Amino acid sequence: MREIMGHTPGKIYLTLLLLSIVALAAAAFTGVMEVPPGGEPILVLGWMTMPLVLGFAFVAFWLVAYIIYFFFFWPYR
Amino acid sequence: MNLIALGVFGLIIIAMAAYGYKISARTAEDFMLGGRTIGVVVMFFFVLFAISSSWTFYGFPGVLYMEGPGYVFFVWGSVAGFAGLYMFLGPRLWALAKLNRFLSPVEALSERYQSKALRIILSVTILAFIIPYVGVQPLGVGRGFEALVGTNLWVGATYTAVLLIILVLLGGMRIVAWVNIFLGLVYVTALAGSLFWILAVEFPNGGLAEAAQIVAATEPAKLSAPGPQGTYTPVLIFGTFLVGLIAFSWPHITIGAMTARDKNLFKWFPLLIFILGGFFFYTIPFVWGSLIAPAIMPGVTDVAEADRIVQTIIQTYLPEWFGVFVLMGVIAAAISTAAVQLMMSSIIVARDIVQGVFMPDATDQQITAIARWAVIGVVVASLAVTAVVEWGLGQGAMALYLTDVSVPGFAQWAPALVGGILWKRGTKQGAIAATLFGTIYLVLGLIIRDADGGRFLLFNLHPVIPTLPLNALVYIVVSLLTPRMDEQTEAVFFDEVEDFLKTESST
Repeated sequence: MREIMGHTPGKIYLTLLLLSIVALAAAAFTGVMEVPPGGEPILVLGWMTMPLVLGFAFVAFWLVAYIIYFFFFWPYR
Repeated sequence: MNLIALGVFGLIIIAMAAYGYKISARTAEDFMLGGRTIGVVVMFFFVLFAISSSWTFYGFPGVLYMEGPGYVFFVWGSVAGFAGLYMFLGPRLWALAKLNRFLSPVEALSERYQSKALRIILSVTILAFIIPYVGVQPLGVGRGFEALVGTNLWVGATYTAVLLIILVLLGGMRIVAWVNIFLGLVYVTALAGSLFWILAVEFPNGGLAEAAQIVAATEPAKLSAPGPQGTYTPVLIFGTFLVGLIAFSWPHITIGAMTARDKNLFKWFPLLIFILGGFFFYTIPFVWGSLIAPAIMPGVTDVAEADRIVQTIIQTYLPEWFGVFVLMGVIAAAISTAAVQLMMSSIIVARDIVQGVFMPDATDQQITAIARWAVIGVVVASLAVTAVVEWGLGQGAMALYLTDVSVPGFAQWAPALVGGILWKRGTKQGAIAATLFGTIYLVLGLIIRDADGGRFLLFNLHPVIPTLPLNALVYIVVSLLTPRMDEQTEAVFFDEVEDFLKTESST
C-alpha cells in the first residue's frame, strides 16, 4: 500500500475505493433498499433485491478500478 | 449405502493427505507454508473455501430467511476485505516473510516490533479466539449426520475430527490448500446443484422471478431492508459491511498471503475473488436464503429451524441420495475451513509459543513434530470448549461466539498488523498497548451487562464497532509518544522489502 500511496494514480485509486464505500453508505442511509411508501419491493430483472443489486454494483466498481490500476499503473506490476 | 458413500469420501481425503506426506520436503517451511509454492488458482480455492465454512449453508441463509436481504452486506464487506488483503498488505507481508524466512504472521510482527511480549500476547489472543471456531465445524457436521443419516451427533463430529487430524497432520499447508480445491468443488456442486434442481422442480415456469413473486405476495418485507423484523436499519447495514471489511485480519486468511509462490499472485488474485467470489459463489446461498426458502417454506419463526432451512428443503423435495451428496458438501465446507484454522493454530503453538518462548534452539524437525502434535491437541481442546459452551449455554451461544467474539477478537490485532507492515512510526509499545486495550475492552464489554442484558460498554453495537477504532487510536497515540524503531529494523522491514518487490518487478 505504501507503493500505492507514493504516486498519483495510486492516490486516485484509493480515493475512488473510499468514495465507493461512502456511496454505499449513502445508498443505505437514503433508503433505496427500502420499500417506497405505498409501493412494492424493487426487484431488478424480476428477482434481484436492492441489497444484491447495490452489492453487485459495488463489487463491479472495485473490479474495474482494480483492473485499471493493477494492470496498468501498479509500481510492482 | 449412505454410510458407504461418506466412507469413500473420507478415504479420498485421507489418500490425498497421504500423498501430500509422501511428496513433502519434511521441513517446517514445507509443512507450515507449503514451501511458499502456492499459485494463484490454488490460492483462490484455498482462501475462498477457508472462509466458506458451513456458515454459508446454515447461518448465512438462515439469517437472510429471518431478517431479509440486508445481512448480505457482510458479504460485500468481506469480498472487499479479502481483496484488500491481497492488494494492500499481501505483497509486503509475503516479501518480508520470504526474505527473513518467517513462518507465521505473529513471528513477522514480533520481529518487526522487536518484542517477545507481543509475540506471546498475539499468540494467546489469536488462539483464544480461533480454537472454539475450529470445534464448531465438526459439531455442525455431526448435526447434519443426525438429521440425514440418523446417527448420533458424535459419530459425525468424530468422523470430521479424524479426517481433519489426518489431513492436517500428514499433509500440512500444501495439501490443505490442494484438498480445498476438491472440497470446494464438491461444496459448490452440492450447493449450486441443489439450487438449480429445486428451481426446476418447484418453479418451472418463471424460475427466480416466480419465486420472488411468491415472496412478494406472502412476505414482501423479506425482499427489502430493514426486513420483516425491522432489524437491518441503515446503521446496522453499514456496520455489518464494516465488520465484513475487516475480514483481512482473520489470522487463518492472513497467513495465506505468506504461502504465495511469487509476487504475480497478488496482481491476479483479486480478479478471482471479485468475479467468482463476489458475483457467483456468495450469490448461491443468498438466493437460497432470501428467495427460494421463503417461497417454498414460509412461516418458519424458530432461529434453529431457519438455520436448517436449506437442508430441510433439500431433504423434503429432492431424492434421498442427493441429500447425502449435499451432506458431503457441508462436510467439505466444514473441513476446508477448520483445516486452515487448525494449521494456523498449530503453527502458532509450535513456532510462536514453543520455539519463540521455550525452545529457541529447536531444530526444524522438532518444530515440525511439535506442530503435528499440536494439531491433535487443538482439535481435542476445540471440541471440548465447543461442547462445554453448547451444553452449558445452548446451541445459540456458539453461533454468537463466532459473530460476537471470534470476529471482533480477530480484529484486535489488525492495527498492529497493518501498522507494522505499512507505518514506519508504529512502535512495539503502541502495538502492545493497543492489542491489550482492544482485547480487554472487548472481553469486559461482552461480560458486563446492564439490567436488560444490554452491552452498555459496547454501546449495544456490534463489538467490532467501538473496540476497533479505539484500539487503532491507542496504537497511533502510543506509537507517536514512544521512540521510533531503530534504523536497522527499518531497513529490514521497509527498505529491503521495497527493493525486493521492485527487483521482482523488473525480472
